[in-house]
Amino acid sequence: MFIWKAALRFLIEGRSQTLFIAVGIAIGISVLVFLNILITGLQQDLVNTTVGDSPHIVVTSREDPLQSLFNPEDDILILSRSGGMFDTSRPFNDWQYVMDQLGNRELLSAISPVAEGSGFISRGEKTVSIRARGVDLNRADGIYNVRDRLIDGDFVVGKNQVLVGIGLAEELDLTPGDLIRLSALEGNGGEPGPANPSIAGSYSVRGIFDLGSQAVNSSWVFISLEGGQSLYRLSDGVTSLELQLNDVFQAEELARNLEKSYPSLSWSSWEEENPDLLSALSSQSISSYVIQAFVLLAVALGISSVLAVSVMQKSKQIGILKALGISTAGVSRIFLIQGALLGLIGSILGSVIGGFLLWGFFTFTADETGEPLFPITFDPLVFIMAIAIATLAGMGAAAIPARRAAKLNTIEVIKNG
Amino acid sequence: MANLLSLVDINKIYGKKVQTHVLKNINLEYEKAEFTSIIGQSGSGKSTLLNILGSLDRPTSGRVYAEGKDLTTLNDDALAIFRNQMMGFIFQFHYLLPEFSALENVLIPHWLDRGSAQAEKVTLAKELLERVGVSERMNNRSTDLSGGQQQRVAIARALINRPKIILADEPTGNLDSESATQVNGLMREINQEFKTTFIIVTHDNHIAAQCDRVVEIKDGMIVQDYPTAEKTKQENWENLAPCYCLQKEGLVEWKQSN
Repeated sequence: MFIWKAALRFLIEGRSQTLFIAVGIAIGISVLVFLNILITGLQQDLVNTTVGDSPHIVVTSREDPLQSLFNPEDDILILSRSGGMFDTSRPFNDWQYVMDQLGNRELLSAISPVAEGSGFISRGEKTVSIRARGVDLNRADGIYNVRDRLIDGDFVVGKNQVLVGIGLAEELDLTPGDLIRLSALEGNGGEPGPANPSIAGSYSVRGIFDLGSQAVNSSWVFISLEGGQSLYRLSDGVTSLELQLNDVFQAEELARNLEKSYPSLSWSSWEEENPDLLSALSSQSISSYVIQAFVLLAVALGISSVLAVSVMQKSKQIGILKALGISTAGVSRIFLIQGALLGLIGSILGSVIGGFLLWGFFTFTADETGEPLFPITFDPLVFIMAIAIATLAGMGAAAIPARRAAKLNTIEVIKNG
Repeated sequence: MANLLSLVDINKIYGKKVQTHVLKNINLEYEKAEFTSIIGQSGSGKSTLLNILGSLDRPTSGRVYAEGKDLTTLNDDALAIFRNQMMGFIFQFHYLLPEFSALENVLIPHWLDRGSAQAEKVTLAKELLERVGVSERMNNRSTDLSGGQQQRVAIARALINRPKIILADEPTGNLDSESATQVNGLMREINQEFKTTFIIVTHDNHIAAQCDRVVEIKDGMIVQDYPTAEKTKQENWENLAPCYCLQKEGLVEWKQSN
């Protein structure tokens, strides 16, 4: 195609000018790529640290069975029993069925039933308030990664065998093999405290974990699912199902979808539970996008102005081509193609530079062990998108110069020699 | 049969506030294989006339017919196609594209017509370059050629699409006398060989004298339109022959024509 040939020749002929603007575009695009991958990596890392080892969706029973069981006039009882999210007074009885149904979903990486409630641990004179979580330890491990974070003892729980957090262990001076007294505080509105436990028993500490959060480490106690169920009188029910997803960011969407399929259950995603984190992430994204948009604008203006100059420089050639019978659209296309080519070449160069920038950044900010600050992924899609957007922006930026070229008056050009 | 090219009551007015009436009621007809010139002083309107003949410019009023077809009704793109297929242009300042080689420059009108080059046209382009004597330098950039060579390449370019009309605007204006003679001879040969109509705008009477027909334009009007063959040699010399010819032969003393 002659049009392509002409566009290429015009670019090659203006060597230094072409090179100059290509480098300009490359710098812009490298910043774009660098920023994009950096922010994505940072956000991924932040989310992973925050919710990576916790459930992404928590399923609880919505209905309050007590309302149908008890006389509605006896409202004091009902009020006292409706409350917290994991209220043991709202057992989730058909969890087995729901779990079987969910098991087929590829999006989910782990499903763990939990029978939990508040309670106390006493050892000697000391009493500490805790959260007893009855779990199938292997399933819970899929979410909390307990096995790898067990710092002492064995990875085992039973009806009378528990794992405790390191904070709790330090406070009560526990080591594996020690015996403790665990009392469940049932949701009956009674005076909380060891004096009025609903159920109490003697348990042995099998292991000590460190889940990285002080709140968790100083309050969580893992017991077996059956242990939790009997402790909180749930019979076969549980308090919640905890789900973890392969892609954290699909949690909200999946939760809303599942809510439609199982309206009697409450599906709450991490995004709902962490609105602050979510708004931090989104404002970070927005500011990153704003910077990227301005960089792109600068790149487009650069292309536009260089091509505007080029139209002036090539006015003789345009005039002669018009005399020889090129269509107005043909003239426009020569410059649109130049814009697109500048965008393409510049952005390919920019992607390479951006890659080096990232490599440099993570090499020079790495700690002594050579570990980067946070893990990043070189998503080829970012590069492909950057190149595609820059090429389109180049073509868009060429629109005004191209129109001016198409409007050039042949006679004026020829007359002025 | 319709004329190859004819102008009917052409007027051209430039400017809106201050109007310049450049062409006034021009009527002209051209036949196939004519070798003609348009002469006139600068500002007489001869270049404007050529631009209208070449459909590079539109008349303010009047009609332009090519083989009976009214060109004034065509849009810009249709005119571009018309020019590409019917017209060849040779300009004073050569106007080869410096980004392309001599051979590529010759092929441009064909590329514009077809998008890409056909092998036979490439052969033709090479033949044409041979014909105009620049074949040895056909792969050189046009900027590496001398003025005379560039103009000869431009002639080859004007011929590539086998146009019926070639319009030349001061084709030898920027050339030394030897190159000018070569270029003139070449145009005449092509005219006879391909039966191409030539319309040459010039202020050089020497060139006009070699044409079959002379159209003289003054102040936007045609003042003379005659076949040179109709005039006696003496008349032609008096009208057109440049003084140096006469001087050379010792016939007259230096005399300012016009």
